Amino acid sequence: MSGSGSTVPGVRRIAGIVLAVLLIGGVVAAVVAGRHGEDKGTATKTVRGVIGSEKADFFADPDVVKALAAKGYTVKVESSGSWAMDGLDLKGYDFAFPGSQAPADQLAAKYHAQEPLPRPFYSPLVVVAHRSAADVLAANGLAVLDGQHRGTLKTGAYLDAVRADRTWQQLKGATAHGELTGTLYITSTDPETSNSGALYLADASYVANGGKVVASTADVGRTAPLLRKLVSVQGAQQSSSDSVFRDFVSGAGNPLVLMYESQIASLLIQQHTANDLVVLYPDTTVNSDHTVVPLDANGRALGELLGTDPALRKLAVRHGFRPQGDAAEFVSAAVGVSGYLNQNLTGVRQAPVPTSQVLHEMTRRARG
Amino acid sequence: MRRRRSARALLAAAAATAATAALLSGCTSDDHKKDDPTAPKPGTLRVLASSELSDMTAVFDRVRKDTGITIRPTYMGTLDAVDLLARGKADGAYDALWLSSDDYLRLRPDAAKKVVSETPVMSSPVAIGVRPATVKALGWKPEQVTWGQIEQAVQDGRLTYGMTDPARSNSGFSTLISVASALSGAQSALTDADVAKATPRLKEFFKGQKLTSGSSGWLATAYKRRGTVDALLNYESVLKGVPGLTVIRPGDGVVTADYPLSSLASTSAGTREDVRRVTEDLRTDAVQKLITDTTHRRPVVASVPPAAGLDTGRRRELPFPGSRSVADGLLSSYENELRRPSRTVYVLDTSGSMAGERLTALKTALTGLTGDFRDREEVTLMPFGSTVKSVRTHVVDPKDPKAGLAAIRQDTDGLTADGGTAIYTSLEKAYDHLGGGKDTFTSIVLMTDGENTAGVDAGDFDGFYRSLTGIRRDTPVFPILFGDSSRTELQHIADLTGGRLFDAQQGSLDGAFEEIRGYQ
Repeated sequence: MSGSGSTVPGVRRIAGIVLAVLLIGGVVAAVVAGRHGEDKGTATKTVRGVIGSEKADFFADPDVVKALAAKGYTVKVESSGSWAMDGLDLKGYDFAFPGSQAPADQLAAKYHAQEPLPRPFYSPLVVVAHRSAADVLAANGLAVLDGQHRGTLKTGAYLDAVRADRTWQQLKGATAHGELTGTLYITSTDPETSNSGALYLADASYVANGGKVVASTADVGRTAPLLRKLVSVQGAQQSSSDSVFRDFVSGAGNPLVLMYESQIASLLIQQHTANDLVVLYPDTTVNSDHTVVPLDANGRALGELLGTDPALRKLAVRHGFRPQGDAAEFVSAAVGVSGYLNQNLTGVRQAPVPTSQVLHEMTRRARG
Repeated sequence: MRRRRSARALLAAAAATAATAALLSGCTSDDHKKDDPTAPKPGTLRVLASSELSDMTAVFDRVRKDTGITIRPTYMGTLDAVDLLARGKADGAYDALWLSSDDYLRLRPDAAKKVVSETPVMSSPVAIGVRPATVKALGWKPEQVTWGQIEQAVQDGRLTYGMTDPARSNSGFSTLISVASALSGAQSALTDADVAKATPRLKEFFKGQKLTSGSSGWLATAYKRRGTVDALLNYESVLKGVPGLTVIRPGDGVVTADYPLSSLASTSAGTREDVRRVTEDLRTDAVQKLITDTTHRRPVVASVPPAAGLDTGRRRELPFPGSRSVADGLLSSYENELRRPSRTVYVLDTSGSMAGERLTALKTALTGLTGDFRDREEVTLMPFGSTVKSVRTHVVDPKDPKAGLAAIRQDTDGLTADGGTAIYTSLEKAYDHLGGGKDTFTSIVLMTDGENTAGVDAGDFDGFYRSLTGIRRDTPVFPILFGDSSRTELQHIADLTGGRLFDAQQGSLDGAFEEIRGYQ
């Protein structure tokens, strides 16, 4: 690490403070010892960031910590809803790392971060379903399954069902499954604070707007009633994509849940099985472009590193993300779980995301 | 809504709860000062927590071993905790929030903005635990029971149950939402219209509620003691801990608690880092296994299966209401309209030793309660010295609630201190006053600042109580330890009658009166 010589007196001074703290309260010792262990060998820069919760496992992975340390970084992260980052005091942080471009652009403007912003990896939105729910959707023309664990959600047909307040009971084959009752809907996160929830509305609005991105006040007005419905049926919504994922894993919650492909892919890549789970790719989906907002030079350097370092790209794949620019890395890692994942996103169309201003207005009206 | 309380009372209630916890763990008053839960301490997270988490001691110990971080919980009902957060009173007083669920929190933007991140740690659905004999008599197949069947059994007079107070306990609140969603026939998140439509059915359903409680722990104790209640509604995890219950998750839907450990915006980055480390530890396979094995909650990692005995069949998840007006409206109608009303006699020591500050504290506490009494509630004030001084009964009439409340305030204001302390004679009078037969939650609150000096003695009261039958015998006394009263004497009264002792020596008098509300 450059300039490490000049930091030595600083380190000594910090060590002195640490000793003083140890004399006052012994409990700090464990934390300091842990950090010392990580830092062994190279002197490192500590970089602090606020991240979307879906990347918390990535940054906590000991191999990621090691790979970052090898490049001279100790990264300390804290999770926050992507849209809630705007409300945090980011003083003292080196970067923010929301789950898509719109909140990133907003933060970049606020903190005068220089474009282009590093976008090291991305992940499409998918709907995970329990087997029983996926079968019923397929039997009623709302989904097409291509295998035991993978399929396509017919976004247009689904939105029609929502417009008609369709319940599970009205669908063929649902009576065989006691849990499939009540209004048919997909659970998402709160669009006002969380990225995946906002992207869900972006996706639905694109389809509802006849395959055109919502841009004008008229577009917003036209799509508002449907978006309002998508949100209000859900009642209180979770504020992070990690929470809805955990609920689904623990067997609680709605049988249809919107999440990032990365969340389910990382589970599969690490465990190779997910029981009776089916991954449905909406035929029109939205990508979350995980975008780094550098708040200083260290933040920018870290953002660049995540996208360029082969070891870190590989680790990103382990956590289910698709590194920018090269599909092969993801495909080769996901080979063991291809029964669940649509590796090349065949038959999946990308909807562009409205500007952050339009998206805000959309979510505001959807939440009512 | 009338049941909002002052922030001061909330804090008092919290302090009282903390004091009770300290007493239960056998601390002396010196320890207690050192253990002040409001004082920050490095390596310790002061966690504002749902009382259901009091079964997590083994897990907290494990976390301390793994991370060096001590979790110091202060238990509080969800609504009170959210209120505290919204008013900014949790800023600087707590390092993290750990409720059974953040669903209600999300309905209060002023409280929700205080939370930075939330991480679900485990889950437990609302369920009904039924005596096996009742299950058999009803001909139920546990895996197929629906809320509709439960409702039918209640209507037929074949099923009675106990549940915790939704205003004070998260489990009670989640139960209320589950029942209301299921019985309203709502196909998606409840609306005001759904609640209005369901009101007559809900009223019928809550006629079957024979036990109420401010905490899950006391509910289980009272259930065992009573012996005549058929079932309990609570979280699956709580019910699994009560021996001899068949635990049923109704097929037509449940609300599930997911216990998010949440970090707070008012805390330092270092504190939030500690919260993150604790969260990370809680989600390791080893700790997830410990959680499910010791608390009967379900893991949130796919690699750890739920503990043996936790049925993995799926249930519909009932959406939690998406607006505060629906949630608060449901709660308000439960308290003021749906539940059976309560009848309470307040047996109040106004002996000579109460003169001065003590009497002032009593008046303040009672006056504070008038903001909390529910419609249809019957309140009797029975001040005593060497004998019972007066018996004044007031009913909060839904048509004119203010009149009854004003009368209670007026009587409170007129209390004077003189005479000796006739505890047992006064208690016997209270039982006589209540009589039997009315379909209510009936209880007695005893507040005294000294030992018995007049009238009959403890032995006489024991004999009196043991000769009671039926509903009268089911009436518990909730004694409040205050001033120079005797813990032994009051604990005995609580044990004898199936009540619970509340401590206003460590905590405050308002706090104790407030906490007892959950049991009335």
